[in-house]
Amino acid sequence: MISLSSVSKRFDGKRQVIALDAVDLQIDRGEMVSLVGPSGSGKSTLLNLIGGLDRPSEGDIRIDGTLLRGINDDELTRIRRDKIGFIFQFFNLLPTLSCLENVALPLHLRGWPAAKINDRSRELLSLVKLDNRLEHLPEELSGGERQRVAIARALSVYPPILLADEPTGNLDSNTGAEILALIRELHSRLRATVLIVTHDREVAESCPRQIALKDGRVVMDQRR
Amino acid sequence: MKLLKLISWQYVRKHLLRTVLTMAGIVLGVAVFVGMHTANQSVLSAFTKTVDRIAGATQLQITAGESGFDEEVLERVQALPNVRVAVPVIEAVVNLNLKSQGNILVLAVDMTGDRGLRDYDLEAGDDTVIEDPLVFIAQPDSLMVTREFATANGLVSNSKITLAAMDGPRTFTVRGIMKSSGLTSAFGGNLAIMDIYAAQKVFGRGRKFDRIDLAATEGTALPELQRQLSAMLGAGFEVESPSARGKQFEALSSVYGMLANITSLFALFIGMFIIYNSFAIAVTQRRSEIGIVRALGATRGQIQALFLTESAILGLIGASFGVLFGLLIASGISASLGNFLGEIYGVAQRAAEVSSDPRLLLGALLMGVVTSVIAAWIPARAAAGVDPVQALQKGRYQQLTKGENRLRRQIASALFVIVFFCLFFAQNRIIFYSGYFLTVIAGLLLVPTVALWLSKAIRPAMKFLRPVEGTLAADSLIQSPRRTSGAVSALALSIALVISLGGMARASYNSINEWMRIALNPDMFLTATQNITDRSFRFPASFGDEIRSIPGIRRMQLVRNARLLYKGNPVMVVSVEIDKLAAESFLPSVAGDSATMYRLAAEGKGFLISDNFAQLYGVKYNELLSINTPNGTLTLPVAGIVRDYSDQKGTVLIDRKMFIRYWNDDTINIVRLYLEKNITVPEMRARIEEKLAGKTRLFILTNQDLKSYIIKITDQWFGLTYIQLAVAVLVAILGIINTLTVSITDRRRELGVLQAVGALRGQVRRTIWLEAIAIGIIGLAIGLAFGCVALYYSLEMAARDISGLRLDYTYPWSMAAGLFPVIVGAALIAALGPAEQAVRGNLVEALEYE
Ligand SMILES: Nc1ncnc2c1ncn2[C@@H]1O[C@H](COP(=O)(O)OP(=O)(O)OP(=O)(O)O)[C@@H](O)[C@H]1O
Ligand SMILES: [Mg+2]
Repeated sequence: MISLSSVSKRFDGKRQVIALDAVDLQIDRGEMVSLVGPSGSGKSTLLNLIGGLDRPSEGDIRIDGTLLRGINDDELTRIRRDKIGFIFQFFNLLPTLSCLENVALPLHLRGWPAAKINDRSRELLSLVKLDNRLEHLPEELSGGERQRVAIARALSVYPPILLADEPTGNLDSNTGAEILALIRELHSRLRATVLIVTHDREVAESCPRQIALKDGRVVMDQRR
Repeated sequence: MKLLKLISWQYVRKHLLRTVLTMAGIVLGVAVFVGMHTANQSVLSAFTKTVDRIAGATQLQITAGESGFDEEVLERVQALPNVRVAVPVIEAVVNLNLKSQGNILVLAVDMTGDRGLRDYDLEAGDDTVIEDPLVFIAQPDSLMVTREFATANGLVSNSKITLAAMDGPRTFTVRGIMKSSGLTSAFGGNLAIMDIYAAQKVFGRGRKFDRIDLAATEGTALPELQRQLSAMLGAGFEVESPSARGKQFEALSSVYGMLANITSLFALFIGMFIIYNSFAIAVTQRRSEIGIVRALGATRGQIQALFLTESAILGLIGASFGVLFGLLIASGISASLGNFLGEIYGVAQRAAEVSSDPRLLLGALLMGVVTSVIAAWIPARAAAGVDPVQALQKGRYQQLTKGENRLRRQIASALFVIVFFCLFFAQNRIIFYSGYFLTVIAGLLLVPTVALWLSKAIRPAMKFLRPVEGTLAADSLIQSPRRTSGAVSALALSIALVISLGGMARASYNSINEWMRIALNPDMFLTATQNITDRSFRFPASFGDEIRSIPGIRRMQLVRNARLLYKGNPVMVVSVEIDKLAAESFLPSVAGDSATMYRLAAEGKGFLISDNFAQLYGVKYNELLSINTPNGTLTLPVAGIVRDYSDQKGTVLIDRKMFIRYWNDDTINIVRLYLEKNITVPEMRARIEEKLAGKTRLFILTNQDLKSYIIKITDQWFGLTYIQLAVAVLVAILGIINTLTVSITDRRRELGVLQAVGALRGQVRRTIWLEAIAIGIIGLAIGLAFGCVALYYSLEMAARDISGLRLDYTYPWSMAAGLFPVIVGAALIAALGPAEQAVRGNLVEALEYE
């Protein structure tokens, strides 16, 4: 499903930083993987590369068999919107849109018909137990609720891959646990491949597969 | 200072493009101000320089308006004991049709006495002339030219030049070439000297002089002599030092100077909005930064000073560039201005070089800085008011609160009530202008509310057009009314300007067409000059008789125009055979019964004045009006006020008999001919040419020729005002670009999210485009409404203070319709750059951006 072969990422600033150093990785369909490591070890960078938000300096990334190298930005966007759902630490909801509109956004971008969009968005919001908050604006929601909207948005097209960068990092531990339970439930229900970056040892260990990064290299990859 | 470097510079560097755009308003405003005024000054200083150089040792000059005076005046002046030399002068600007384009100033003098005032250093020429200038006069076909002019036109000693004189073509011989000196640089070097008695014949001046130049004997008190001369000659004569003549010229170009001020004020005003907008946004964006600095110990005063200093520096840099651009465009403008003044007022002038006044430049710099500081005042205070604790908590930008909006609305309504009352007392000038000012303020206060309301109103339409992009674009506007209203205000103001100027142009054309239909109804016009406003050549009175003898003429009206001073203002006196005028048409009356007023005027019992004369100098119907003439003051009642557009400074119509009697001047500028039914214009032209060919200088214009000439001049005038439009629209577009650039920086994260969840680049671009178009349409809607009011005030202003011409109010609908594509197109163009910037950025960074 996701395959990386000797992927490196350098940032050429005043000082060159090697954020990822020849990483090889294979993640199969339906896996649920946690990604851990100290701050600055390259976790977010890895996630961004897989999600096609950024491009590697070297190496090949394949998503569902498609090689990301050599395709243009719009094609990359198409792959992202068909295959990948993102969940961010800071939710990144659009403040002017209601919950329903936020969830509907990716569907609109795909040009779906209005009725279908409406059905799907409501379905997803009820999946994340927010049926009663459809018309609310993000600022009228709690942090946990916002993250649930973000999850609903990430899942709106039933993407085969769900990428989450510290989804609980900005939430208190109870809410964090709820969100995680939700992700786990969705994983089993929708059969999506899930990759979670986390600092939470418990969260990490609860995943069937755990990968650890340090200084841009994979230092541990274990399955339970 | 340290703070400035640490904080502001970093921010400016990060937002360089935006900073440049923010300055653009100031740059343009200052550039227009400097450019137009420098041009004006250059033309003016070229004029004074010419006067000055030609004056030589002249201490006082005696004139009697444009009409000139009789030769005997010279003898009376020379007879005064304190007068050392007094010499006659005729000056005329003529087109010689020589190689080097442009006109030449002919200075006609009496060589015998003139060398007491002026030096004529000859470097080449007839040996006899060089030895004894009297030989020059002995041969009336003598001409002296400058070295520059001779070289430019390949003239040498004894070259011949043919000139179409009033008594037929005359051939002149170059008998002297003057060395380069002060005198020869007058009129940009295009100067020729001629004998004055020859000039009287060439220009058809009869036995008259334009001017007497004089110098007093050693030890005479000039003011005393001046008084003595005035007393002796009477009120019809002006006795002034040569330098005073610049003032009259200045009065003529004052309308233009006013226009320059209005344009630059407008540009600066719009620029002020852009700066205000930028600073307001910068303050919200830098809230946490300000909070940190405050937490670290900066005082409120320091923060405010920081922002104000920043704005002052911005203003200074912007103004400096403005001054630079202004000087660059000045030479272009001064060329066309000189031309234009020549055509409209018949005072040709050549500005060879751009001369700029350091005070003007300094003033312009100051203006830029002050504008910028004023604009940044409120944002700077807001910055000083930032609470460090709140600012450090992560929070959304503060928004325009409902309360603030309500307050604005309340103030606006209060202002509208005041404005309403102002209209009742609009007679008073201060109240009138305060009313205008308050209307603008009230309108601007309402912009955020109305813009918000309009944004909400067009959201469904935009959503319908493009569900995602349309909604996002509309929401972006609704979300940040403060960001939006800056651009919308700037745009609305400039559209209001466009509408009011356009409306005024439209009204002027309508009125001028109507006036031409009535006032210019003869079939043909005969003039002695190519240009109808130029009066340097004149027909003798006998010319009328010659024309009268040609068969086929139903009626003929002889006209003599002269620009004279009325209370120091250069107004136009038109003398015409009023009974014959009345027989053909009446100019529309503003006050008084047409038949009566024309009868009174024809009998020499009253003046007819144009409505702009009445407006400009506050003269009323039936009041007594006094005009100074060489034969004393002529005081008559105002028999009627008529609508007349022949001169921007105001016109006085009097009967030809009266003019001849009081000015001793029976020459003719223009002959108006009405033909018999059985003859066509070309046939009549042939008859006139047959009779007069080679005998006199003559230009024949058909009715159509003259009308198109007037339309051409009107076009030129509005051509100048169209510069204003271009500037206004340009500044407004800069405002849109600025707002969009801010908008995409503000929403960088949002746009990043959009792309992260699958928006293609095209979709992001379209969002920005739609936002720009929405701003354009909202600005247009508000601007068209503002325009309604602005047009009313502009027409009033023109009638009261600029030209005194009253024009009818007609809203320029077609222009408004034409603006729609222009503004939408401009908005779209403004959006191209920002949209590219939005899709180019690094996605990962955008998502982390705060
Ligand atoms: N845009 C960038 N420019 C330069 N260096 C960068 C950039 N983004 C990341 N880096 C560097 O790459 C390295 C990896 O960063 P990354 O964000 O992937 O770490 P991380 O493991 O997600 O850390 P954290 O747990 O703190 O989020 C860091 O050393 C960081 O400094
Ligand atoms: Mg990270």
